[in-house]
Amino acid sequence: MMVAAMGLGGVLSLASGASATTTPSSSSGVGGISSGGGVGAGNFSSGVSLPPGVGSPSYLGGPKNSGGANASVRIYRTVGGKRHLVAYGSSAITYKTPPASYVPLGQALFAQNCSSCHGADAQGSAIAPNLVGVGPATVDFWVSTGRMPAATTNVVQANRKPPRLSPKQALEVAAFVNSLDPAVPYVPYPNLKGANLADGADLFSLNCAACHTITGMGDALALSTFSPSLHAATAQQVAEAIRTGPANMPRFTGNLLDSQLRDVVAYVTESIQHPADPGGSGLGGIGPVAEGFIGLLFGVGGLALICFWIGDRA
Amino acid sequence: MSNTTNEPDGHEGHGGRTPVPMPVARFDDPHMQEAATHPQRTERIIALSFVLGTLAVAGFGAAYWVDGPPWVLAVTFGAGLLLLGFGLTAWGKYLMPQGPFVEERHRLASTADEQDAMSAALVQRTGVVVKRRRMLGGLFAGGAGIFGIVAIFPLLRSLGPVPGNTFDVTNWRRNSLLVDSNGRPVRVDTLQVGGIMTVFPAGAQNTEEGQAVDQTVLIRVSTDDITTQPGRESWGPRGYVAYSKLCTHLGCPVGLYEQQLQLLVCPCHQSMFNVLDGAVPNFGPAPRPLPQLPLKVDSSGHLRAQAGYDQAVGPGFWERTTR
Repeated sequence: MMVAAMGLGGVLSLASGASATTTPSSSSGVGGISSGGGVGAGNFSSGVSLPPGVGSPSYLGGPKNSGGANASVRIYRTVGGKRHLVAYGSSAITYKTPPASYVPLGQALFAQNCSSCHGADAQGSAIAPNLVGVGPATVDFWVSTGRMPAATTNVVQANRKPPRLSPKQALEVAAFVNSLDPAVPYVPYPNLKGANLADGADLFSLNCAACHTITGMGDALALSTFSPSLHAATAQQVAEAIRTGPANMPRFTGNLLDSQLRDVVAYVTESIQHPADPGGSGLGGIGPVAEGFIGLLFGVGGLALICFWIGDRA
Repeated sequence: MSNTTNEPDGHEGHGGRTPVPMPVARFDDPHMQEAATHPQRTERIIALSFVLGTLAVAGFGAAYWVDGPPWVLAVTFGAGLLLLGFGLTAWGKYLMPQGPFVEERHRLASTADEQDAMSAALVQRTGVVVKRRRMLGGLFAGGAGIFGIVAIFPLLRSLGPVPGNTFDVTNWRRNSLLVDSNGRPVRVDTLQVGGIMTVFPAGAQNTEEGQAVDQTVLIRVSTDDITTQPGRESWGPRGYVAYSKLCTHLGCPVGLYEQQLQLLVCPCHQSMFNVLDGAVPNFGPAPRPLPQLPLKVDSSGHLRAQAGYDQAVGPGFWERTTR
């Protein structure tokens, strides 16, 4: 099913992550311990090297993701005798790398839009971080949400704005950056069918609501930083942010399975972005201060006016 | 008290009660006229208000019967009450006689004779009848006193169970296995650098006490072993650090982790704790660092506690030895 959905050219070989990683002692996870500053463990194609410090991404598979609907799958393509990982994931989330044909256009777009700060080879500068080895999902998130290219570097935190590059151009830039040093996570494609909104709500309140608030409106954090509103994010962007941890956001990897990630994404794009608002209006969803203000001003104020009218002599 | 002038003379007090005739309303009395300048038009408006209010209330019933959406229930119910109330108020205000009306009454004060008789009776009875039953009074005072003492018991009990040593000791022990809220053990590869999760000692993740006092934030800050404070050289294997999630100010869950600033922020009063420096507070009202849980990696790659917390978690209390 997944191979058909990919539509990728080249020689495809299907490897089951479940069968390779069922015993903890030989799993990629423990491989990650010993490698420390790590190149990918044996399960990965030699064409993919993991960035230092990332370790083996346990959410690729392993005991927790094996079996049932969560069975993890990896798709490789052999080019010039080397096997390259082009996609992985499960029925809940599929992670794909942009095709290699995107690289030349991506390089041109990078030179136009990104290189003035990040450098022509994406090595970073005094005002912009090194992008080599961050993985395609990171690049796609920052570009597709409009945060990059940044309007100015003179702010604490880049804010979401209408994107300058199209979704396809964002993938092209991601393809170019990833070609410099291939890395995970790849761009996630969530399949929200079968998502459990109740579980998503639990996971959201446990992991996300502390900063983004229970209504997803975002809030102020330390030192002029803030957690952004989630109401404009697409399902793919939510998944990218959770897996990559942009800016001050923590990244959620082995503690959030692909099926759980799908539940959270579905909860954000359905319940958070389309609240039921049984009272008629959520008043911005910013909490009891706004609700109390409206209640006092219009509720108590209106009652006072009515009392004046009743008590006044005709 | 304008009515006193109408009181017939010689009929004061209880003994002289005489029915006071009601004044007969005359149609041309200006006090008996309605206030509306166009009574017909006002009546039509009020009638319309009643009709619409009735329809709205009936609509509320119908909407309730078919389980309609909440906003329909709210609008029909609110409009019905508002329209019926408006009609009633306007009816009384514009169509009823406006007054002022005067209702006559007799004089309320007792006569001098009645007052004398009352005080004589009181003096006599107090001296003889009331003082005669000393034993009954003593018995009642005893019962009421015991009741007053007993009434303190539920008051004391409502303060909750005696905390014992639960303020000082958590369920974290030497070799406690770190698990998430679903009871899944935490492996050394569960988090990547920049990741955070809430962990519990295995077995306590679903208990009230476990969720209250054992909750701990586990953060991975680097791939190398990290030392946050002198004497804690072995507490952060593989870049994992664990701090009590209870703010040392008032016990709110400190769950806001900013991975670039390496700050844990408390959502209640914006205390900020330095993750890399033993969770020392560098802003806000928190008086102490978050207690750090010493970690280790066992032979199967699972994270365990080297020992329990070395101090009481959460906000300060009177008997706290390490303030």
